[in-house]
Amino acid sequence: MWQNKQARLLKDEIEASISFLADDTGFHSLVKEALVKSKRGLSTRTTNDKPWPLLPLIVCEAISGKYKNALPAAAALQLYIAAGDVFDDIEDADSSVSIPAKYGIGIAINIATALFILAEKAITLLERKGVEPSLIMRILEVINSLCTAACVGQHLDLSPISETSFSEDAYLKVVGMKSASQVECACHVGAMLATEDQNLQNAFAKFGYNLGIASQIANDIQGITHGSDIIKPKVTLPVIYALSQVDGEAYNRLKFTFNQNSEDAPDSTEIRDLLFHTGAIHYAVVKLELYKQQALDILSKVESRITNMERLKLFLR
Amino acid sequence: MKSQALQDLVKKIFNDDKVKQQFISNPDSVISQYPLTEHEKKAILSAHAKIGLATSNSGQLEATYSPDTMWS
Repeated sequence: MWQNKQARLLKDEIEASISFLADDTGFHSLVKEALVKSKRGLSTRTTNDKPWPLLPLIVCEAISGKYKNALPAAAALQLYIAAGDVFDDIEDADSSVSIPAKYGIGIAINIATALFILAEKAITLLERKGVEPSLIMRILEVINSLCTAACVGQHLDLSPISETSFSEDAYLKVVGMKSASQVECACHVGAMLATEDQNLQNAFAKFGYNLGIASQIANDIQGITHGSDIIKPKVTLPVIYALSQVDGEAYNRLKFTFNQNSEDAPDSTEIRDLLFHTGAIHYAVVKLELYKQQALDILSKVESRITNMERLKLFLR
Repeated sequence: MKSQALQDLVKKIFNDDKVKQQFISNPDSVISQYPLTEHEKKAILSAHAKIGLATSNSGQLEATYSPDTMWS
C-alpha cells in the first residue's frame, strides 16, 4: 500500500537524520522517544488516522507525480514538530508521562534543542536530492517564519487570560499561528518542492491553513465532550461562542469556570451540558465544516493542475 | 473571521423550538432567511447531514468529529 511505503521511507530518512548521535550516552534513545509518539514520523502505531507525517509527500506527489525529493523536508518537519512537542510539554507542565516529567526540564530542553538542530541539518540534505540551494533557502525561510508564528501563538496562549481571550477573532488568530501553521508549513513546503508556480504554492499553503484550523476545532470539541478543557480550564471556540450568547447565571457560571484564577474544580458535566444546550458545540461543528469547505474549494480551483487529489481528500473526511 | 449571520442562525435554532423543528425537517428553508456565504450554507448542510444537531454528547458526534490532528 502506498501509505506504508511512504511511511517506511520517511522513517528511514528520520532514522538517518538522528543516526550519528552517540548511542552509548543514551541521548539517541531520548531524542528518538520524542519521535515515536503517536502521529509522529517514527510511530509504530498503525491506525486509521490521517497520515499527517506524510502530508508534505502527498502534496508534492499530488502536484508533480513524485515525492522522494521531499523526503528530507518531511523528515525535517517531523523533527521540528517533535521539538515543539517537548517545548510545549515543558511550558504547559500538564502531563505526567511527558519527556520533561520523566527526565527533568534540563534534559528535556537539551532534547528539544537537539531536535531543532537536527531538523535544520535534515533540510540541508535536500541538496542531495537535486534541490537547488536557492530553493532550500526559501524553504528554510518559510519554515522559520511559520515556527516564529507558532512561538507568538504559544506566547499568546500562555499569557494570562484577558477580555480579548474571549473573542472569536483572537482565538482564530492564536490557533492559526500556533496550530494551523504546522499544517500550512507541511503543505507549502510540499508544494514548493513540486512546482515553481507561486499561485499553486500559495493555494496549498492556504489549503493547509484551513485544514489545520478544522483539525484544531475538532480537538476543541473533544476537549469539551471529554471534559479535559473544562477541568484545565482552557478557553476554546465553543466557550467563546457560548459566552457571546448567554447572560445572567449561565454567563457567570461559564465566566467563573473559565477564569483561570478560580481554584474550585468545575462540575464538568454541568458545563458540558450547558455548552451543548446553548448550541456552542453545534456552532463549533459548523465552523469546523466551514474550514473544511474552504479547503475543499481551494483544491477544486487547482484540480486541473494536480494529478492525485484523492489522497489529499483523506484529510478532509 | 466571525460571522454574525452564522451565530444568529445557531442561536435561533437552539432558542426557538419551532425553528429547530423546521431546521431539522427542512434546513434550506431556515438557512435561506440568513445572509450566509455559500461556504457557510454548505458547512451547515454538511454538519446537518452528518450529525443532525449536536444537542448532547453522542457516539455519532464522537465518531464523526474525533480529533485527528497533526499535533497532540
